Amino acid sequence: MSVKIEVGAGGIPHNQILIYGLVGSIVLTYLTYLNTITQTQYFAFFGGLAAVAALIWGTDTIKHLCSYGLGTGVPSAGMIALGSGVIAALVGATTGIFAPIVAVIVAAIIGAVAGVLANHVVRMDIPVMIVSLIELAIVGAMTVLGLAAMVGGTFNFTDLVTGTTTFLGFTIQSYEASVIGGSIIAVIFMLAAIAIQHSFNACLGPGEKQDRTLMLAAECGFLSMIPVAIISFAFIAFIPAIISLVISVVGWFYTYAQYIELSKRDAYAWLDAKPILEPKGGA
Amino acid sequence: MSALGGPKQTGGIQPPTGTGLVVSIVLIIIALALAFFLVQMAGLIALIGIIIGGVLIGFGVHFVPVGGAPAAMGQAPGIATGVAMLAAGAGLAGLFGGAWAVPLGIPVALAGGAVGGGLLMAITCTMVNVIYVFGMGIPAASGKVAKDPITGDTFPEYKSQGTEGHGLPFISWVGGVIGGALGGFGGTLIYIELLEVYQAQLPALLGATVEQIAPVAVSLAGIFAIGMFLMNAVLAAYNITGTIEGPHDPKFKRFPRAVIAAAAASAVAGIFAIALSGLLGVF
Repeated sequence: MSVKIEVGAGGIPHNQILIYGLVGSIVLTYLTYLNTITQTQYFAFFGGLAAVAALIWGTDTIKHLCSYGLGTGVPSAGMIALGSGVIAALVGATTGIFAPIVAVIVAAIIGAVAGVLANHVVRMDIPVMIVSLIELAIVGAMTVLGLAAMVGGTFNFTDLVTGTTTFLGFTIQSYEASVIGGSIIAVIFMLAAIAIQHSFNACLGPGEKQDRTLMLAAECGFLSMIPVAIISFAFIAFIPAIISLVISVVGWFYTYAQYIELSKRDAYAWLDAKPILEPKGGA
Repeated sequence: MSALGGPKQTGGIQPPTGTGLVVSIVLIIIALALAFFLVQMAGLIALIGIIIGGVLIGFGVHFVPVGGAPAAMGQAPGIATGVAMLAAGAGLAGLFGGAWAVPLGIPVALAGGAVGGGLLMAITCTMVNVIYVFGMGIPAASGKVAKDPITGDTFPEYKSQGTEGHGLPFISWVGGVIGGALGGFGGTLIYIELLEVYQAQLPALLGATVEQIAPVAVSLAGIFAIGMFLMNAVLAAYNITGTIEGPHDPKFKRFPRAVIAAAAASAVAGIFAIALSGLLGVF
């Protein structure tokens, strides 16, 4: 595929987005720990916001990496990000309170290995390859960890593999009715992968603007949050799940409206198509 | 900032750098030593199985006829999508095919995985040709070779001017099926090895029987197999850089690079997946 990938210049420098994304996603993931401290589940939605912060950063990284021309599709970068990220996220989750930090470190190791292999063995010879794959692996890990925390209300592995089911009025512990045992992690994997690979793939080309691409990334993140919030009804109490759902829907609506606004700003012209009205008395 | 060059398009195949080879070998040895240290002989065997599975995936991707965007316009032979998507499809179909057969024994499961992956590619390749021939009205003609190595059909008379060939010749169909079978086999092998490790470790850690933790073990092994599958498939895609027609394509000779990369990447990802149960006991 020899499609020329063009990206726009200007906008916020990448390193600034990197810092905001990394710190933001770690802090927001840690805010879900308030659930454990206060023995409630009201703070589960912070996990989804952490995923959105990571996705915005990841989209800018993909833009940075793909401007070199990978020779294969943009989505491949999202696939390797989530593939290495999901391993790091679950390994990190086993370490209790240190989960987000360990996930970042493990993801950085896996990403660095993939980057070195891509540059020195497969011979891509792209200067930003190693750094970009490290960033993308961390993005993948934080997205999975954040969305898992949103579903289960916690990022602790032991709590993610145990759930409770009510059987004939008795509440029994079950590994099947849990976030990991119920394979919800696979759904999260795909939702996050679609969110990370879509935005730049949709916006690339002449006239690409950073704010529009990143707004679409946030929109995709909130869109992935909506099904995750609906799934969370099965694992956390009703009110916290409703809070998650409302925040996801409001966030999606706002970012979607903003994205349409930015698309109209960058478009040469547009037509507000209206439905053709039936003439009175029939045609 | 527009397209900034990208991989150097020099003639021939660039061999892996010395650094890359040394790093790969050192990483594999460290991972194998860690596996032996953490889970003794069972861990070592599991990691060797994971590395073999990863190598089969990386090798198998090279057989799959990937056409990308030009193929969608009938200007290049192959299936009209990217490497990562096709490999993920074949691999996941194989993984599903193999995973259900695990209770019937490892040989049946591996055969199920290979048949699942191969079947998906056979159906995909057949339907692609049906669309090409009856929908778009174009004959199958390879641009890279003058004669089909299997059927002996000649191509130059049928190749349209200004294209690299079009449609899906028989050799590409055979390559697709072989690639799907290898990918499905490799993915299932990774899944089985991880499942055995978790079924041996998790019951003691969580204080439950093997039947009770089965959903957790299956879910973890499955998601890690998918993660490693995508890492290896994307590294192989970077090796191919774009389109490949199948085993007769000159690009096929690049596969040793992808095999080395897949072995090292699987070793690193695999050691984290195996160490997960070890970490769970510490924290």
